[in-house]
Amino acid sequence: MNDKPEKLIDKKGVRLDGRKPDELRPIKIDVGVLSNADGSAYIEHGKNKILAGAYGPREVHPKHLALQDRMLLRCRYHMAPFSVQERKSPAPSRREVELSKVIRESLEPSIFMEYYPRTALDVFVEVLQADGGTRCASITAAALAVADAGIPMRDIVVACAAGKVEDTIVLDLMDEEDKLGSADVPLALMPNLNAVTLLQMDGILTVEEFEQAVNLAIEGCKKISAIQKETLKAKYVDVKEVEE
Amino acid sequence: MNSRSSDQKSGQLVLPGERLGVIEEFVPNAGTYVENGVIYSKVVGRTLVDFSSRRVSVHPLNRGAGVPKVGATVVGQVSGVQNDTANVRIFKVGNKELSGVFTGVLHVSDVAMKYVESMFEVCKAGDILRAMVISDKNRTYHLSTKDKELGVVYAFCTNCGHMLELKRQGMHCQNCGRIEKRKTALDYAK
Repeated sequence: MNDKPEKLIDKKGVRLDGRKPDELRPIKIDVGVLSNADGSAYIEHGKNKILAGAYGPREVHPKHLALQDRMLLRCRYHMAPFSVQERKSPAPSRREVELSKVIRESLEPSIFMEYYPRTALDVFVEVLQADGGTRCASITAAALAVADAGIPMRDIVVACAAGKVEDTIVLDLMDEEDKLGSADVPLALMPNLNAVTLLQMDGILTVEEFEQAVNLAIEGCKKISAIQKETLKAKYVDVKEVEE
Repeated sequence: MNSRSSDQKSGQLVLPGERLGVIEEFVPNAGTYVENGVIYSKVVGRTLVDFSSRRVSVHPLNRGAGVPKVGATVVGQVSGVQNDTANVRIFKVGNKELSGVFTGVLHVSDVAMKYVESMFEVCKAGDILRAMVISDKNRTYHLSTKDKELGVVYAFCTNCGHMLELKRQGMHCQNCGRIEKRKTALDYAK
């Protein structure tokens, strides 16, 4: 890989890829990209390329996992071997198992689980290309896939990260800032209900810095949410035009 | 408090979590939910506001999730037959095709109003069957065919696999001349 850059942020406050500290990477979202899944979404968040598919509600196998009073949500986060610079073993790593859990727990509060007892909802997230902040982009895509599958939801979850790079609080860290920066705060939000469903912190921040990072991440979430909703609406407007 | 909820009209495209109004002005109906006195949509769909009854509902735009419910008519393939029960792989609930399959069980006592001796004279593995869900207790869907409209809709010969034709003497195979028995629905092979 190329050498470590001297400065992650220059004197004018411009980051490595030319962004301002409170600027998001370019985001492109597609819904309903997979015909075999009940719901699906594809997100390009900067250099991240992530595909999410949702299946269900369907019968649970093995049967003993079924819950009698609500639906079972199963998530699988997986990185393709070609998603990173050095080939990643396709076997699920400790990190992937944890991220699967994190995605599941951030989606769970948004779904009406009690409507479909004894069934399972399977969400598969495949990272095709990774460049920092994949967990947030994955949550954004996974929530859209679930909404596309027609599952009743309280809100469409959206996620974004903030962090600290060279004493500056910045929004939406990319890979290099994540690795060389000093802190990372991923946050998932239900924007209409204004409820946080995921909040993690990696690194050290003071209370003030943390507060600043959380507020910045919430602002970022709201911006992504607007794109997310626009995409989902566009799908149904298109469908209607085809019918006419 | 604010006036943004009073400009509601029917036919608007809404997404899950979109605010539709407050419970003081509307009665929440299908496709909506209430949290802290505010009505939100819970599906992707178009709003339907009935100003005479003050009801607000959301008509879903996508296929929606389908699961067998008690009272629903389902269609499935018979996956196995024992002396007194048959297992059915349900692939359709009402008019909705499922993405996967749900397993249902049909018991001889629920086949017809009259006494049925054995499940083997009702259906065979591979047949397509229409049934009604009568219970979802004990972690399984219990089915019934106690109706003229319910029963086997497509049956196949156990000998050669050709589709059977409904004749006076029973189910007749045109290929090998075999005669079998089934509990057929009124619209068999139609």
